[in-house]
Amino acid sequence: MKKTTEKRIFIFVCTTPALLLLTLFMIVPTIEVFRMSLYKWGGFSNNQVFVGLNNFKILWNDMNFIRSLQNSILLIVVVTLITIVLAILFSTLLTRENVKGGNFFRVIFYIPNILSIVVIAGIFSAIYDPTSGLLNNFLSVFNIESLQKMWLGDQKIAIYSISGALVWQAVGYYMVMYMSSMANIPESFYEASSLEGAGRITQFFSITLPLIWNNIRTTLTFFIVSTINLSFLLVQAMTGGGPDGSTEVFLSYMYKQAYTNSSYGYGMAIGVVIFLFSFALSAIINQITKREVLEY
Amino acid sequence: MKKKALLAGTIALLSIVLMACQDKDNAEVSSNGGETTKVKQTLHVAALESAYGKDMWSKIIDEYQTENPDVKVELTADKNLEDVISPNMKAGNYPDVILLATGRKLALTENLIKDKALEDITDVLDKNVYGEDVTIKDKLIPGFTDTLATNPFNDGKTYLAPMFYSPTGLFYNANLLKEKGWEVPTTWDEMWALGDKAKADGISLFTYPTTGYFDAFVYSLLLEVGGPDFYNKAMSYEDGIWETPEATKMFEIIGKLGKYTEPTTVANANDKDFKKNQQLILDNKALFMPNGTWIVGEMADAPRADGFEWGMTALPAIETGGDRYAFTFFEQIWVPSAAKNKDAAKDFLTFVYSDKASSIFAEAGAVQPIKGNSEKLTGDNKLFYSIYDNGAKAGMGGFAATDAVEGVSIADTLFRSIDSIVSGDKTVKEWQKNVEKVSDQLRPALK
Repeated sequence: MKKTTEKRIFIFVCTTPALLLLTLFMIVPTIEVFRMSLYKWGGFSNNQVFVGLNNFKILWNDMNFIRSLQNSILLIVVVTLITIVLAILFSTLLTRENVKGGNFFRVIFYIPNILSIVVIAGIFSAIYDPTSGLLNNFLSVFNIESLQKMWLGDQKIAIYSISGALVWQAVGYYMVMYMSSMANIPESFYEASSLEGAGRITQFFSITLPLIWNNIRTTLTFFIVSTINLSFLLVQAMTGGGPDGSTEVFLSYMYKQAYTNSSYGYGMAIGVVIFLFSFALSAIINQITKREVLEY
Repeated sequence: MKKKALLAGTIALLSIVLMACQDKDNAEVSSNGGETTKVKQTLHVAALESAYGKDMWSKIIDEYQTENPDVKVELTADKNLEDVISPNMKAGNYPDVILLATGRKLALTENLIKDKALEDITDVLDKNVYGEDVTIKDKLIPGFTDTLATNPFNDGKTYLAPMFYSPTGLFYNANLLKEKGWEVPTTWDEMWALGDKAKADGISLFTYPTTGYFDAFVYSLLLEVGGPDFYNKAMSYEDGIWETPEATKMFEIIGKLGKYTEPTTVANANDKDFKKNQQLILDNKALFMPNGTWIVGEMADAPRADGFEWGMTALPAIETGGDRYAFTFFEQIWVPSAAKNKDAAKDFLTFVYSDKASSIFAEAGAVQPIKGNSEKLTGDNKLFYSIYDNGAKAGMGGFAATDAVEGVSIADTLFRSIDSIVSGDKTVKEWQKNVEKVSDQLRPALK
């Protein structure tokens, strides 16, 4: 009896600081976001007016918000698709094949992930520069000037330019994650399958992919969360949402409304939509990718 | 038993650490908030560190403290002043005096105007300048305290005092024009003619750093097409004003200018790369750009074409003999209503207009709208500030204050869309229609 009380006290003491911090810095602010989304408030005064769901009504008709939402969804889809393919490809190559300097590549691929997003913005605005940029000059070396573009100036491609930078910084991180779970697959599986005549591609689809499936599922949620967050940082640092709002993502639009348009309550309403959206998206993806977990 | 003692010890230690943190935070907060201490009165001054640098503010503070030994001044000067002071402001700790202009991207000043959270300082203008026998009002150049930029509610009450002013206009390489034998255009027709000539030489007529620089440009153009009355109506969102023939003319001029704009401008027209656009002028790749006098200091270290020489002109007139305008941009200094030492803050305001202070500011290149100040200038600044002596008229003030309207911003619609006009993603007609629509939405929210 004495032992269990002691144990309980111990658990209580150990978890209290974490729970306190969690409540204080995560749960309370989240509830606060939901509460503030029902108010009209400038952000500084004490004059908070309750307006019910009015903020959401305005949001429904706000074309700028719809556009930022489209941009965000586009980024989530494009960045996730390209990154996941590249990351799995590279990690298979580095774990399964005997690539010369494999460790070197592993480090090189991981480096972008260590860089701060502001540095990445600097690197990519140098790459995308219309006159002195790497990309346009590269194209002119191969005499394909017709492909030269105003990468950040053309409203139709600016958002894809942003996704290019996001993919570049994300590949290494996910590659390392997939590599670690690929390294856990017993070598004997591959030996057995090759004895039965399976080629590399069959091995990949029948052994590697099913066995790292759980890992991929987890990373899909990471993709959603990190693309939403990082796209905001990158857009803020690189284009400021321009030209004319064509690279605005929903977090940058929320920031703009809450802090520069004196519409704090409206900004919080956007926050609520983003919150629900990312939760719902993660849940849906989690559901539809559910497979029987293979044990080995 | 031992374990329990250990446990208790840990908890005690943890709470001490927590309390220690708390104490430190409290101490910091009170010093930032400028609460009255036992020994001295603390005045908290927050100033934007702009192209003029931070040093002049340190000197001003030193000077003020020598004059007033029992006032302790704390200075916050930062390039991103909003990011530094607004978290504290949200927590209720306001600086006592803030130098921060309207028209900044984060729009902190506008936010407080919308909330009516500024102190009425009309009475300060009638006070004597610190240590001098003249009132502030008499010392200032007339007109500077009658604009929407100082009296945002248009009720004759001043909430923001004018500080450093700077004429804005079109900046160019005077030497390039001299070499080519081109005249500085005085009307828009001459401007287009010059644009065609320059095009033949591979030089674009126009570029802009970011669309944010169009505020002064559009205001001047509005004054040129319709005069001050028309301008004030547009600034107070009068119904249909953006669809009048005058406004149409303004939209069309900018639309046409878009066709003469250097092609890479839009790609670099963001806060990160705008200097590349300014560099186009230094490299003789574009002729004119809208800017302010700070450009000289901002680009001081940039490489430039041989014999480069800054030139500045007012906007070309609509027709020969028509009015030409150069908008006057000025930074404002103000006292938040929530400041704790309002009286000390107002005393400080009288000090910044003193001869002593204004000479410190002038050394750094910051010119206050004090009578006779512009005559003391030297070098490039002399040329820039003499623009009004050469026939250009001064425009001042901006849009009237409104309550916040969610998702609607006149600056975004009127200025930011210019990127789309230049790149051809929007037509001038669409742009005009959008501006009128936003004006309609903001009208009911007027204060």
